[in-house]
Amino acid sequence: MLELRKDIFADERDDNLKEIGKGTQRQDMLGHVTGTSSYFNDHKLQGMLHLKVVRSTQAHARLRHIDTTEAERSAGVRRIIRGADVPRNLNTLLSLINFGKDDEPSLAVDKVRYKGEPIVAIVADSEREAFEAVAKVRIDYEPLPAVFDVEDALKPGAPVVNETYPKNTFTYHEVYDHQKLRFGDADAALATADHVLEQRYQMSPIEHAPTETNGAIAAPDTNGRYVVYTSTQALFFSVDTCAKILDVPSNTFHFIGGTVGGGFGGKVDTLTEPLAILGAMLTGRPVRYVFGREEEMQYGPPRGAERIYIKDGVMRDGRVVARKIRAYFDSGAYTRLSSYAAVKCAAHLPGPYTIPNVYGDVYCVFTNRTPATAMRGFGVTAMDFAIECQMDKLAHLVGMDPMEFRILNAYRDGDMKAHRREAKNTALIECVQVAAEKAKWPIRDEFKRASSRKDGGGSRAVIPPTPTDSRTRPAAPAQQRTSYDRLPPTVTRESPREPPPPAPPPPSPRPPAPSHGATRFSSVFGTRRR
Amino acid sequence: MAVTVKTFASASEAAGALSSDRSARYLGGGTLVMRALNEGDVSISTVVRASDQALTRIDASGPRITLGAGVTFARVLAERELGFLHAPARSIGGPAVRNMGTVGGNLFAQSPYGDFTVALLALDATVAVQGSFGSRDIPIEEFLQARERQTGTLVLSVSCTRPTSTEAFRYRKIARIKPKGGSVITLAAHLPISGDRIAGARIALGSMAPTQIRARAAERALEGRSLDAATIAAAASAATEGTSPYDNALGSAWYRREIVGVHLRRLLSGQE
Repeated sequence: MLELRKDIFADERDDNLKEIGKGTQRQDMLGHVTGTSSYFNDHKLQGMLHLKVVRSTQAHARLRHIDTTEAERSAGVRRIIRGADVPRNLNTLLSLINFGKDDEPSLAVDKVRYKGEPIVAIVADSEREAFEAVAKVRIDYEPLPAVFDVEDALKPGAPVVNETYPKNTFTYHEVYDHQKLRFGDADAALATADHVLEQRYQMSPIEHAPTETNGAIAAPDTNGRYVVYTSTQALFFSVDTCAKILDVPSNTFHFIGGTVGGGFGGKVDTLTEPLAILGAMLTGRPVRYVFGREEEMQYGPPRGAERIYIKDGVMRDGRVVARKIRAYFDSGAYTRLSSYAAVKCAAHLPGPYTIPNVYGDVYCVFTNRTPATAMRGFGVTAMDFAIECQMDKLAHLVGMDPMEFRILNAYRDGDMKAHRREAKNTALIECVQVAAEKAKWPIRDEFKRASSRKDGGGSRAVIPPTPTDSRTRPAAPAQQRTSYDRLPPTVTRESPREPPPPAPPPPSPRPPAPSHGATRFSSVFGTRRR
Repeated sequence: MAVTVKTFASASEAAGALSSDRSARYLGGGTLVMRALNEGDVSISTVVRASDQALTRIDASGPRITLGAGVTFARVLAERELGFLHAPARSIGGPAVRNMGTVGGNLFAQSPYGDFTVALLALDATVAVQGSFGSRDIPIEEFLQARERQTGTLVLSVSCTRPTSTEAFRYRKIARIKPKGGSVITLAAHLPISGDRIAGARIALGSMAPTQIRARAAERALEGRSLDAATIAAAASAATEGTSPYDNALGSAWYRREIVGVHLRRLLSGQE
């Protein structure tokens, strides 16, 4: 049970609320512990067909020729689906919130960009017959040079992974090849710091390893609709993604899900639903498409790898005065959600500490690896690992206790964060104090007395003078809009409190974007006026 | 083509079905064959089973023990007389896998699996097989060297001599996930002591080559000596000789080469 430390946060929460702060039973718990919850794969429909995909054996190759003649004659095969059969065979997940360009086909057409990319889908009477037909598809590859390292991918002359992004980096606001954070003058502070510590951190991709692999069963329903049993962890997101790829209104689908056999971010990508539905559309029969365990492990999207360089300046008394970070998110061959992770990461820098000079460059990079996706705090977790390793090393460097070192540098209420929001409800100091107490780790009285609610703000709330990069920026073209951004132009919403104006001068004036006359909040863009 | 399942009452009939059909596989506990079928291995079209009681027999009363090929790891663990094989049996999978997985099937398990076979190799086991020309006994090392060609033969049983003391047989599996992970490397050592000298040392390694292999250089370093620090150091430094490890998701060939001597030293010196 969660404990709210009333001794520390006395007025943080009203104790007389009926639900918040009270223990409550999850409504699906009884089904789970008694083994009666039904999952998507618990449906065996009459006449159900099975879909399997032919996956690329190459990390990067042009598709010279795809020969399915033998597979078509294979026993039990009902339909072979090629890229040309997919109504809109190019998509990016976050296009639903008008972010990023369509860059990923459901079935590869002219080129494969990672080992395991789906090329052909086969719908057959049984899984076995589908597998047999898969083995009979002949693909003539013309191998292309591949790139597997994020920094190699950024070098001049590196192979272009994804032609939608020819520089191998995601494009932010249609102009920028990375997320940039500038707060104070990190270079000047590093020059005058007592110690400077630069380190490199490399994370590996991490597989979600759900008990239930990704999958969906789609079946024709009355009135031209389709019922879809799915493992998705983002049901409405998946509905809209399928509607876009299959180019039909989203009310064509009745998605049934909600019981997910392990998601953790690995069931957002809607990889099986579009092809299962397309198979049902083309055959008029229920179609089941489920990843095997090896498919899930090898080609299901992982948490992306990250490479992080941190250069910190620290004074002898333990104050961190500058933090300079370069981070490369390995998105794999397509965007999925890594572009958003980089935005979150930039907003999170320099971690939960008040550091007067912060400099961050965060890149979302394309390589010929399995596309990465969401996983539990992605964009922040790996960076936090690097930052906390760095904090231990810095504490050691200046001869301070690592707990006390964190309390000294922790952010406090009223401080200005590097992305120019005032810090509120901070609690790192209290967390460290409680952790020290529970671990019987001795910290000195002055650190036991420290509080997130004291000694913040004031000079710590000031945005320091921040030099901007001298490079001239190209003007941004008008915002591309898609039919998926359906905010009615007349709606006015209450404007959230205006954040303090950012210190750096805005980039060269943009051509006016289509205006809705409303301010909206997006976790990707932040508060924007349209 | 659908997969056909053929069940026979006797092992010899099953062996006949197996040797006459290249797409046939014998199904023991199914932990390997069913996994392959589920993952779409279309090279298997016939599944052969045998309900022969002889395949599940355990003879553990005398100095030489015999395990039917169909004996599961759960049964090995339930048999007090087989205490020396409990560590390798327990190192395989979780309870569900141990409840189904068999001694015979383990002989065919590709790395990172096949840990029980590492133990049997160190114990100089003999494998009884039924082929198209009747049954015969094959030394386990010879069996493993020709394993790729053994799919048409049916393993009937495995037998080995019981170690003279608990100290004489040692086993260690290195896995990243405990207790159920696949093997990074697996080590087994049989060190019979005669007088105070080692006579007939056997060191077997898993995941250090395409099949389980013996570390002959390490065995030579131990043979005829007492198990002291110098002998152990010599055996540990010779552990990689003759091995050909490979890269997989659990570890690189380089890493395996680096750690095999360390773990052999710990195994021989009785360190945890």
